[in-house]
Amino acid sequence: MSLDASSALGSSTADALPRPLPGRDTIIQYGMALLTVVLIAAPLLPVLYQSFLDRALYDSGQQLTLGNFGRLLRTEGFALVIWSTFVFATLTTVISQTLGTLAAVLFGRTDMPFARLFGELFLWPIYLSALVLSFGWYTIYGPAGYLTLLVQSIFDGAPWNLYSLPGMAMIAGVSQAPVAYIYCMSSASITDPTLEEAARVTGAGTLRTLWRITLPLLMPAIAYSAVLNFTVGLELLAIPLVFGDPAGITVLTTFLYNNGVASARPDHGLVATAAVLMLAVVCVLVWLQGRLLGNTRRFVTLGGKATRPRPFRLNSLRWPLCIVSAIYITATVVMPIGALLLRAFTSLLSPMVPISEVLTLGNFANMLEYPVYPRSIWNSLIVSSVGGVIATAMVALIAIIVLRSDFRWRGALHYVALFPRAVPGVVAGIGFFYAFALVPGLGGLRNTIWILVAAFTMHFIPVGLGAVAPMLLQMSPDFDRAARTQGADWWTTSRRIVLPLLRPALVACFIILFITFFKEYTTAIFLFAPGSEVIGTTLLQAWTQGEVGLVSALATVQILVIGVCVTAARAFLGVKLYG
Amino acid sequence: MAELLIENLHKRYGPVKAIDDVNIHVADGEFVTLLGPSGCGKSTTLGAIAGLDQPTSGRIRVGTKTYFDGEKGIFLPPEARHCGLVFQSYALWPHMTVYDNVVFPLKLRKVSTADCKRRVEESLALVEMERFQDRYPHQLSGGQQQRVALARTLVYQPEILLLDEPLSNLDAKLRDRARTWLAELRTRLGLTTIYVTHDQVEALALSDRIVVMNGGRISQIGSPQEIYTRPADSFVADFIGTTNFLNGDVVGAPDGDGQTLVSLADGQRVLIKSDKRPSLGDKVTFAYRPEQMRLAAANDRAIGGSIVEADVVSHSYVGGRWQIGLSVGGNQIRIETQEATTDRQLRLWLPVTGGILFTERNHGKSH
Repeated sequence: MSLDASSALGSSTADALPRPLPGRDTIIQYGMALLTVVLIAAPLLPVLYQSFLDRALYDSGQQLTLGNFGRLLRTEGFALVIWSTFVFATLTTVISQTLGTLAAVLFGRTDMPFARLFGELFLWPIYLSALVLSFGWYTIYGPAGYLTLLVQSIFDGAPWNLYSLPGMAMIAGVSQAPVAYIYCMSSASITDPTLEEAARVTGAGTLRTLWRITLPLLMPAIAYSAVLNFTVGLELLAIPLVFGDPAGITVLTTFLYNNGVASARPDHGLVATAAVLMLAVVCVLVWLQGRLLGNTRRFVTLGGKATRPRPFRLNSLRWPLCIVSAIYITATVVMPIGALLLRAFTSLLSPMVPISEVLTLGNFANMLEYPVYPRSIWNSLIVSSVGGVIATAMVALIAIIVLRSDFRWRGALHYVALFPRAVPGVVAGIGFFYAFALVPGLGGLRNTIWILVAAFTMHFIPVGLGAVAPMLLQMSPDFDRAARTQGADWWTTSRRIVLPLLRPALVACFIILFITFFKEYTTAIFLFAPGSEVIGTTLLQAWTQGEVGLVSALATVQILVIGVCVTAARAFLGVKLYG
Repeated sequence: MAELLIENLHKRYGPVKAIDDVNIHVADGEFVTLLGPSGCGKSTTLGAIAGLDQPTSGRIRVGTKTYFDGEKGIFLPPEARHCGLVFQSYALWPHMTVYDNVVFPLKLRKVSTADCKRRVEESLALVEMERFQDRYPHQLSGGQQQRVALARTLVYQPEILLLDEPLSNLDAKLRDRARTWLAELRTRLGLTTIYVTHDQVEALALSDRIVVMNGGRISQIGSPQEIYTRPADSFVADFIGTTNFLNGDVVGAPDGDGQTLVSLADGQRVLIKSDKRPSLGDKVTFAYRPEQMRLAAANDRAIGGSIVEADVVSHSYVGGRWQIGLSVGGNQIRIETQEATTDRQLRLWLPVTGGILFTERNHGKSH
């Protein structure tokens, strides 16, 4: 080759060095950090402030006081509220951990027929909101439920009662069991299968290997998801609202709801103080989660080879266990959801009346007659899609600042951005309610869906980060370093290299946020106003009015939209929608 | 193109000194290799030059431009330095074609579209990759990716070229070819180049000078020949080439000719010539390259060397020749021979000149 250095590289005059706008990186990084801090502090500071005030924070002449805390503790029945909350969360955790672990072993590690199918169906409750699930359970197991009536006609009265702490915990446990299942499954998938094979080679039978090797290896996953589920149990609003309130059982979330939203003359000092109490407890639990997760890394056993563990042989138990699983899945997943869908297309659902006689589209026609219902569906779609895009953009920026920049406060920003994990939905809802009441000039936003977008975004930043961070951590830092040494500043590098490479994770993040926003109701019921209803709030409204048909129709819309999203995402994009 | 000056460079991570007082002066157009085991500070030094790692103190200057000055608080971000860095992983952006990868630095410099096209083609021609412009990185072999990475760096005529173990991801055969090709290219371009590697063969074959680093410090700077024949300490001797170490006590202080008599642990004596001047009774280490030693026949006399008795510890066939493990006065050494041996004991001839004497006695490692 005759090329030499002068002809190949010295052929033109020296290039102008790239001149990125000075300080642009810094402005973007500080701006984003500030926005994040403001958004996350927005609901928290007013709640804290209100808890130390002697009257509503928008009144005049308030004085700082510590009296709210004493008043709350002296409030009649508050001790019972704390006790019920504790019992409900504990029962929920026990049920969900037992079911989730059993399912993980049975569906994930044995040669039971249809194990994969059951595994898929087992996950379904996690895609739907607890509100919709509650209505599903009501339709089938409620006092006038299909199965309740059927059982009553044979025996004398049904053996279950959903309007009790165990009944509520059963629904919550079933809807949270997928969390335990997912953690156990992912723990099992990275466990070295030779550990089990070694036990078998030394002569341990199936049960002994399960008991002595498999389960102990799952313990970190079980412990971590237990704390997670206990936290969810504390924060859950829908199930106590639907089943607890009519039976006079109050937990902390319904206490906040009844005194904060549903009350004609809300006692804001009391509400804020209870919210602060809840915030403190959940903070401790989230801290505990972090500790446990830190510990699990020490337990994780990574095998070199990517071999699938050999499934345990169930032999003669294969079919009996399969039938038990089928009954469980039918009773807890297929029937509640199926009955809800069926109820939407019938005028009533009863074992005494043949279904063919009551088939109707009347519920949907009814739903379309009131402008509030179509409006709430439309609002839900807008909040989820536009809000999902905004939240994804924000999450993407936070992620690249925290993980891919030399921003001075990136560690602090990471901590702040993950903090909403410790903020229960009810607290976020109350907090944003106060924030918009407190700050002048934001009043215009108050009755629009944008307050919901702000609240949902704040509440679910950690969820989005969870979807984006793993891919960003796996991506070689050499990609950005190469661009930087060639003359690109941080923002150009992010725009041209990092974010385009991150696209699959951003799509996944958007879909996860879309579904999460679409089913969210807890934060919304503190914030909605006429005109800014979403499906979650109109569901509750219709429920309070006793319009079961309408509730079923609305729930059907939610189930269908989420079903389409989940199926499409998993089929076309291969997006993992949990974990 | 420009000279590079590194003065009193330090980098600390808490109590750990990743770079400990490094001083290097690289002349314009010189090819200097930073050589050392992993964790020796060579990559951190390269990162400090490129601006990817901020040093704790010291100065880095390229040409007239100060990249880093700890005292004056100057730290140029990587994008303001105009360095060219080829990564060990190549870091070709997977979402861009070869053309888009190479044109990226030109676009940043607002080079006109026509010029861009011409210069990308020239640069790719230089690495013989002009036919692959529309391919994506994953459609290229490791060797081809490496060439594109180099083209992407050369296209904007950096002041100084930094290469971070560019051959280590290639398989052995390809690595040989790429090394020859890189040596050719280097003579043609004449760029000031800093090359980081842990492979002594690459370092010896490519460099004008080699900087051997150990534990964040520079052990020796010198031409490949100097480093190989006159290693400054036992670490350098051990790291460059295969080296056999013997420990002993000085029983005859160096005479006027610089010849020192050393006694091994079992009392056998070896004469070695060195410019080091240990005193009587000093504990010393001395070393020979395998090619400097040979087996001595029973009637051989110690002309120009010493003959010692050695116990055979192991022998293995390594293809074309035999490798024999020996124990000499408690020291483990290895030599290579053409023929197998069944003897339990052998006589070994060690030359007077050519061996290396170290007055420090820190080399406890046995082979």
